[in-house]
Amino acid sequence: MLKVDNINVYYGAIHALKGISFEVNEGEIVALIGANGAGKSTTLKTVSGIMHPRTGKITFLDEDITHTDGYKLPAKGLAQVPEGRRIFLQMTVMENLEMGAFVQKKPPQEDFENVFTHFPRLKERRSQIAGTLSGGEQQMLAMGRALMSHPKLLMLDEPSMGLAPILVEEIFSIIQEFHAAGTTILLVEQNAEMALQIADRAYVLESGAIALSGTGAELAQSDAIKKAYLGG
Amino acid sequence: MIGLISNLISGVSLGSVYAIIALGYTMVYGIAKMLNFAHGDVIMVGAYICFCGINYLSLPPVVAVLLAIIACTALGIVIEGLAYKPLRSAPNLAVLITAIGVSYFLQNSALLIWKSDPKVFPSIIKLEPIHCFDGQLTIGGVTLVTVLCCIVVMVCLTLFISRSKTGKAMRAVSEDKVAAQLMGINVNRTISVTFAIGSGLAAVAGVLLCSAYPTLIPTTGAMPGIKAFTAAVFGGIGSIPGAMLGGILLGVIEIFAKAYISTQFSDAIVFAVLIVVLLIKPTGILGKKISEKV
Repeated sequence: MLKVDNINVYYGAIHALKGISFEVNEGEIVALIGANGAGKSTTLKTVSGIMHPRTGKITFLDEDITHTDGYKLPAKGLAQVPEGRRIFLQMTVMENLEMGAFVQKKPPQEDFENVFTHFPRLKERRSQIAGTLSGGEQQMLAMGRALMSHPKLLMLDEPSMGLAPILVEEIFSIIQEFHAAGTTILLVEQNAEMALQIADRAYVLESGAIALSGTGAELAQSDAIKKAYLGG
Repeated sequence: MIGLISNLISGVSLGSVYAIIALGYTMVYGIAKMLNFAHGDVIMVGAYICFCGINYLSLPPVVAVLLAIIACTALGIVIEGLAYKPLRSAPNLAVLITAIGVSYFLQNSALLIWKSDPKVFPSIIKLEPIHCFDGQLTIGGVTLVTVLCCIVVMVCLTLFISRSKTGKAMRAVSEDKVAAQLMGINVNRTISVTFAIGSGLAAVAGVLLCSAYPTLIPTTGAMPGIKAFTAAVFGGIGSIPGAMLGGILLGVIEIFAKAYISTQFSDAIVFAVLIVVLLIKPTGILGKKISEKV
């Protein structure tokens, strides 16, 4: 479904991604894990067209999207829940969801209902200004907003960031609900333990390159991973 | 008492023009985070085009005004595309200097095309004045039309921004360009649309301004431009109701200062009020400061 082939990405002179290649197949949950600054977010930003690679190729559903303008990608079935949520704080919950469905002419009511089934709390707060929501609710809104575009591939950047453990559990179980409903998931996480639990496959990034890859279960057992990310 | 009301009406009328100009500043600032100092000069171009349409092409006034609006809308898109778009990722200072450059470019182009001799703007608003209180108070036709235009613009713009899909996209882009792009919003196009609307409004403001003060020279737009910018900051830059409120307050303060304190000092008083307001409330009267949750 998504194929990233040997991409090199730079921030000015800084070589941020050094020849990264990975694949996401339809129906999978794939996790990218790694420490701060390993290049996880940069990888997602490059796939979603916020940044472009200097060399290498990205294909999504057999179409070359390496240099496609980012705003054209949601219509092709790619959605991203960005790092730090980045919901529209001055707009209402409903308006945020409408923005999520921007590529559709007029989103049907069922789409909103679908989001509210996953996140009942958003329904109560539908006409509230998003900036007044709690951190967890904002994360839910960011996920609901991405869901509104009916993505084929949903990319989540650090969905657990800054949330209480109980909320992290909730968010991860919702990611699995999305997956069960037929959405392919690409997950970037620092919380390697949680990510590996739900991932079919995972890649470990280290200073801009892929250091390890394997199934979620394999990597969870790997000594190197345990030492580096799981604290023993 | 009648004098006071009469001054108040003149102030609201002048303020309405400032408000319409200020809307252009505030919308562009809100979305592109830049101060488009050339905005004032678009007003002047709009007024000249309307003037030419009536005097040289003998167009009916309504057609001439429409022509001015269309021409300024196009001018806004061209200015944005040629001068500002290439600088999208440049430092703010570079964009600011460019805007000042565009302002001089427009003024000097106007000087070349229309020369420096003042043109007398034809009176196109033929509405009869209204007499109240047994003729003690007269409200001019231009005054009425100006205030009315301002109300119509305000209502339409507010509805557009809050209801329409493009309007919502504009708010989304103004808050977070990257997130807007992730929603599939074409950020560059949205910014162009904002410039187009702002510049179209500038043409309306130009016609209204020159109907009230019918002397047209290439620097006609400069001072009202600066004052409207002040009005936008006064009301809280980035806020549409703020631009409206700021514009009208500024107009009223200016006229009152002229009538009751000193004609020479009126501008100084206007800017002194701005300084005081910003000292007390740095974000302007209706400006909001949103803090982000982590």
